[in-house]
Amino acid sequence: MFTLPLLINEDIAVVDTALGEFVAVSGARLALFIDCGGFIVTQQGEAGELDTTTLGALAANNFAATQAIAKIIDDHPVTSLYQEGEEHSLLIVSVRDFGFLAIVFASELGVGSVKYFAQDTVARIGVQLVAAHTRAPDEGLDLATLNLADTGPLFRRRAAP
Amino acid sequence: MALINQATKEIQLKIVYYGPPQGGKTTNLEKVHAEVEAAPEAKGKLTSLATNSDRTLFFDFLPLETTVVRGYKTKFQLFTVPGQVIYNTTRQLVLRGVDGLVFVADSQYEKMEENVQTFANMIQNLETLNQNLINIPYVLQYNKRDLPNAAPAEYLDFLLNNRDIQVPSFSSSAVKGEGVFETLNMITRMLLHKLLTESGRKAA
Repeated sequence: MFTLPLLINEDIAVVDTALGEFVAVSGARLALFIDCGGFIVTQQGEAGELDTTTLGALAANNFAATQAIAKIIDDHPVTSLYQEGEEHSLLIVSVRDFGFLAIVFASELGVGSVKYFAQDTVARIGVQLVAAHTRAPDEGLDLATLNLADTGPLFRRRAAP
Repeated sequence: MALINQATKEIQLKIVYYGPPQGGKTTNLEKVHAEVEAAPEAKGKLTSLATNSDRTLFFDFLPLETTVVRGYKTKFQLFTVPGQVIYNTTRQLVLRGVDGLVFVADSQYEKMEENVQTFANMIQNLETLNQNLINIPYVLQYNKRDLPNAAPAEYLDFLLNNRDIQVPSFSSSAVKGEGVFETLNMITRMLLHKLLTESGRKAA
């Protein structure tokens, strides 16, 4: 089963535009769209020295663990998570079943305003992914199948004629 | 680190199944959960935090209780780690407080490099946590022995069990349930032996 529908340039462009506009209007530092496996699909904003690869993986871990806790305590599935830091905070918002929006922002900004602006971005990304799914319902992506440790099959010497 | 609760007379030990991606770590726990002979209260729920394609995302967790040891109820917490490269930090988190390790190697010839790299990664992650493999009981499980391209166990021993101290190794086919309980029983025996030896030393 796939974690993402098959995405084409147009889909990524729409997501990039939504993220870019969100970063501009909200003042957030960085917005990442991550699939359920923690792989970054695309991002906008200023990553700087941040290890976004690990951030994405841990954000997905965190969300999965929190959902498991919600099940144990018989609560509804969680749709967002907020981590308050001294200088930077993190808001993770689920985008339907496709993945998450992970937003890094200065703590002084306040989670309320970031969450407010994120609602529209999440809706726009969700609509585009639904359209992508409708376009090719039997196709999809699972970024977790990319095993970065094994790059052997990527490039091979052509057999001699 | 083993947790000993004197008030409730409980010992908790954490065992982590480590290994390359899709090597059989989760399958081990699934087989234990499905087939272990235990009273309902002695076998907990298997919690799997995985992706839609059933790849471990964070960990799998299975709590098991065993018979009393010197008046103490012993609880084992079995964890698996995600095998993929991207989840290295996650593996460090799951390794915290580990008491024993099961390294699940994929016996297929083309997976040897991954086995060796993952084993080195395990040592590196332990060092990050200020732990040394020398001080942690571990066993090796050579999984997928049922596949036609499985390398000889002696070759896997040469690659992975060629250290100053050799550890027990087991051939397995986790998907068939072969070797799963033998592996688990050995690591629990090693852990209990270490615990009893250390507690005896402290009492003396």
